[in-house]
Amino acid sequence: MTLVADEVRIEVPVSGAPRRGVLSRLASRLGNGFVQLVLALVALFWLVPVFGLLIASLRDESANTASGWWTVFTKPTELTLANYAELVANRTVWQSFLNTFYIAVPATILVVVMAALASYALSWIEFPGREGLTVLVVGLLVMPIQVALIPVAKLFGAIGLFGTITGVVLFHVAFGLPFAIFLLRNFFTGIPRDLIEAARMDGATEWVIFKRVVLPVAKPAIASLTIFQFLWVWNDLLVALVFADQDSAPITVALRAQLRQFGTNIDTLATGAFLSMIVPLAVFLVFQKYFVQGVLAGSTK
Amino acid sequence: MDAAPGRSPRQAIPFLLPALVVLAALVLYPLVFSLIRSFFDASGEQFVGLRNYVDTFTDPRTLTAFRNNVIWVVVAPAAVTGIGLVLAVLTERIRWATAFRLVLFMPMAISLFASGIIFRLVYEEAPNQGVVNAVLVGVHDVFSPSSNYPGARPRDGYTATEAGFTANAPARAGDTIMVPLVGFSPQQVPAPALPASVPQAGQGELRGVVWLDVSVGGKAGRIDPTERGLPGVAVEAVRDGQVVARTTTGDDGRFTFPDLTRGEVVVRLPSSSFTLPFRGLTWLGPSLITPVIISSWIWIMTGFAITFIAAGLSAIPRDALEAARVDGATEWQVFRRVTIPLLSPVLLVVFVTLVINVLKIFELVFVIAPGSVQSEANVLALQMWQVSFGTGGDQGAGSALAVILFLLVAPAMLFNIRRFRRERS
Amino acid sequence: MRKQWIALLALTAAACSGGAAGTGSQEFKGQSVEVVGPWTGDEQKSFEKVMAAFTSKTGAEVKYTPAGDELPTVLQTRISGGTPPNVALVAQPGLVAQFARAGSLKPVNAEVEKAVTEHNAAVWKKFGSVDGKLYGFTFKTANKSAFWYSDKAFQQVGATPPATWDDLVKTSKAISETGLAAVAVGGADGWTLTDWFENVYLRTAGPDNYDKLAKHEIAWTDPTVRKALEELAKLWGDSTLIASGALQTEFPKSVINVFGEPPSAAMVFEADFVASVISTNTKAKVGQDAKFFPFPSVAGSKDAVVAGGDMAVQFKDDKVTTELMKFLASPESGQIWAELGGFLSPNKDIKPTAYPDDVTQDLAKRIVDAGDNVRFDMSDLAPAAFGGTKGAGEWKDLQDFLADPGNVDGIMQRLEADAAKAYGK
Repeated sequence: MTLVADEVRIEVPVSGAPRRGVLSRLASRLGNGFVQLVLALVALFWLVPVFGLLIASLRDESANTASGWWTVFTKPTELTLANYAELVANRTVWQSFLNTFYIAVPATILVVVMAALASYALSWIEFPGREGLTVLVVGLLVMPIQVALIPVAKLFGAIGLFGTITGVVLFHVAFGLPFAIFLLRNFFTGIPRDLIEAARMDGATEWVIFKRVVLPVAKPAIASLTIFQFLWVWNDLLVALVFADQDSAPITVALRAQLRQFGTNIDTLATGAFLSMIVPLAVFLVFQKYFVQGVLAGSTK
Repeated sequence: MDAAPGRSPRQAIPFLLPALVVLAALVLYPLVFSLIRSFFDASGEQFVGLRNYVDTFTDPRTLTAFRNNVIWVVVAPAAVTGIGLVLAVLTERIRWATAFRLVLFMPMAISLFASGIIFRLVYEEAPNQGVVNAVLVGVHDVFSPSSNYPGARPRDGYTATEAGFTANAPARAGDTIMVPLVGFSPQQVPAPALPASVPQAGQGELRGVVWLDVSVGGKAGRIDPTERGLPGVAVEAVRDGQVVARTTTGDDGRFTFPDLTRGEVVVRLPSSSFTLPFRGLTWLGPSLITPVIISSWIWIMTGFAITFIAAGLSAIPRDALEAARVDGATEWQVFRRVTIPLLSPVLLVVFVTLVINVLKIFELVFVIAPGSVQSEANVLALQMWQVSFGTGGDQGAGSALAVILFLLVAPAMLFNIRRFRRERS
Repeated sequence: MRKQWIALLALTAAACSGGAAGTGSQEFKGQSVEVVGPWTGDEQKSFEKVMAAFTSKTGAEVKYTPAGDELPTVLQTRISGGTPPNVALVAQPGLVAQFARAGSLKPVNAEVEKAVTEHNAAVWKKFGSVDGKLYGFTFKTANKSAFWYSDKAFQQVGATPPATWDDLVKTSKAISETGLAAVAVGGADGWTLTDWFENVYLRTAGPDNYDKLAKHEIAWTDPTVRKALEELAKLWGDSTLIASGALQTEFPKSVINVFGEPPSAAMVFEADFVASVISTNTKAKVGQDAKFFPFPSVAGSKDAVVAGGDMAVQFKDDKVTTELMKFLASPESGQIWAELGGFLSPNKDIKPTAYPDDVTQDLAKRIVDAGDNVRFDMSDLAPAAFGGTKGAGEWKDLQDFLADPGNVDGIMQRLEADAAKAYGK
């Protein structure tokens, strides 16, 4: 994030004013009540489809296709936990739940680490062709996954990675890198040049600068990246369907195997969606507190 | 030191190598593979030069896909970025910011496939299943009451017009009008209805009976023993385009026009008795399908935008805002002149990512659009999928589409890079 | 003598299906086989019971991968990746032909071929042969000539199951008079429309023309196609007969429209698997509230059946794979699934009493009795770009026809253009 804008120049280091004071002043100025109301309405509106899905997961399939979920308020006895019981009792589903961790966690960690390293080089180390390389790497963002399925299948087959969790992880890493580098590079280039130069003057190596100057500042960006990278891998279906075999299948594939071929499947889909959703939501809650960290901690002497 | 600090390619290598290796093997190689493949035909054996590209641009389905992608790109990313920005800024002021962001994030935690299914249901046409139409129908029915005999129609002898069912043959005083109706269930005939019978018309008047001509083993056009008259049906007598008399049938389905002395009239049954209940709009039909899918995408992706913008907001030093306030700026001015410029890098990242996401959009369209409207909702990634996969799939043409997709996005990338180069110098 | 062996095998299979300790030869203990098939959910469970019987018999372990609708993609990528399964169950003969010609499939060995010839009518061998060699056989089949109706709706008008197309139209008109639509059509799923067309065409044009059209040896602008489309238009063209919103109604919904509460139609045409939707989603009972009659004869045609199916093919030819193929070709394997319901087989040596209820038995019997007059689902025989793609090719053209049944010429030309493009490759 560029912290230098047209009108305001920031001098570093600064310690931020306590947020509390600012917030309460803002609140009183803007009519806090009105904002609260608007946001509450927006939140409610946003929740309606999810709420409908929740109700659908608590009803038998014949009820789901006979009437809309809002009718359940007139017939509360229709609600049942049977769908959840059935899925939770299914051992394949449990195994796949674990598999999804085995796939998503390494994929996320690898992407964040590799992208951070590469983005630093692309932002702060000058070398010939840097511009072109950046364009190329970030341009790969547009590659649709379907295009790579067959070539990569051939490649994996040749080196024996086809059907393994490693193969799936590598595929996800590869397709997560362009966005990750795009995001982090944009963030890193916004760090004030002075900070970096000062560290270099002091004789710090690139690695030290990366570790001590850049990373701490980049926490919000890295946190957001972690959330989304994890979530995209967690919810992926196509890559796993093609590259994972029965034993390494993640939860998306396992849930899919529960669907009836010719019938409606709202009960299974809804229940599966809720069970699966818990993990990304937990990751969100854990990492989003890093957004609240504000200001550049003083880092120059 | 052999080079100025920060200016050594060699130092960059360990940082870049892991990412570049993976990218080269798994993303770049398939791209190059596709590029080469796009110059060959379906089997991959015969070189055909630019023929795949020409075919692609002349295929009407691809052109529809282009048009739809343009609509998507113009409308959707801006909408999401804008909404995300407004909401992110507003949420700073409330204490339950995390809960709010969680609610907006939830759609992203659900897989695209499940979200697609959710929206398929939300926009389902049947008002007893789709919540949008349920609301629409509910509101509509508050204002306009439903008709008595929805779907009923005269068996024959009448033509359907805008105003209702008009008799083909005119009637004169002394005639008995028989109006057999079909298209309605005998079980649904209201309780007070009495068995139908043929009335006798006197001089100077017109009499008739409207009855439900449906019974097991009954004859068409004749009043059978179990058939009942239909009460409450409005009947009009029309002469020269003007309604000269109007009446309603009684419990036995009979009606009378007492003073018809002059000339002929044409009997008409106004459509208000027969209109089918309002069932909402056909959201998943050809005209509304793209807005429907875009709305689903907005629901999903606003969480993405708000998360990153919130991260950006949190990195803005409070001093900048303080300084501006101390200088006497109003909230709006602070927002416009300090917050937005400081946020502009984040906004750009979010916007560009959304644009690319929209250009690649696939699952949502695939899942939400029923087969009958997929060609109207078609987008490039979907077209590429359909062309490449399945038996007899043409991977050459599919690869051409992939390359075209890549070329479409390249300018956005270049613009973004240039902007940063300028800003840093 | 053979009957005793079959009985013994059946007993053994029954004993093994509970997963009890193997009583078979255990010849292949320690080896494993991989099977890829389209079946998920309950069908997967049933198939896994069949596989368990194989394990009991031979000791070989079976790993089953459910691929659902993505089966073609999964198989193609696995073949590219060098790790194809041992056996796959493929629903599209076109795909089988593609794999066979590319050399990925191994022809079945002599013992399997003998079993196929012995247990099935000759026409089934034809379906599984590519360029004169037998590559597969149909393990599970679907009877796609079943017209399901609601007993209650028929009783309301005193109707009996129609035996001819004209009777069907007459009965439909009678039903629509009671305010209920006569037929629910799942128009959003183009494949249901292709099944309608194929049944009518088979009856109006005869099996020989059917075969020719399937290979595109006659064009879709042929007069035989016109005749079939015109017959279809007699039903589809009358908006009072078809439930409204057909183009947005998916196949399961069309079944629920007939057998759910409140019903909006009286009949739905499709295949035997309608029964599973009825039992999952509605409270109607198959055999009591929900019955079927065979697709009516058109202009005096003889009994004919359009069938679909999943064909077993092998990618490897080691001994354990051959053993599995032999097992699948024998009546023993089919019998296990038959008893569990939701399964039909062309294998004439499966005892009719193995099927769990009268309706299923009837459906199975009709396929076996039709002998060589069975024809495979034409859209599955065609290249997938024409006969198997959502929103494109034959599916889309017939959807357009449903929307505008008067436009026979226009639709024929579009069908021909799409077919030429797909078959032409």
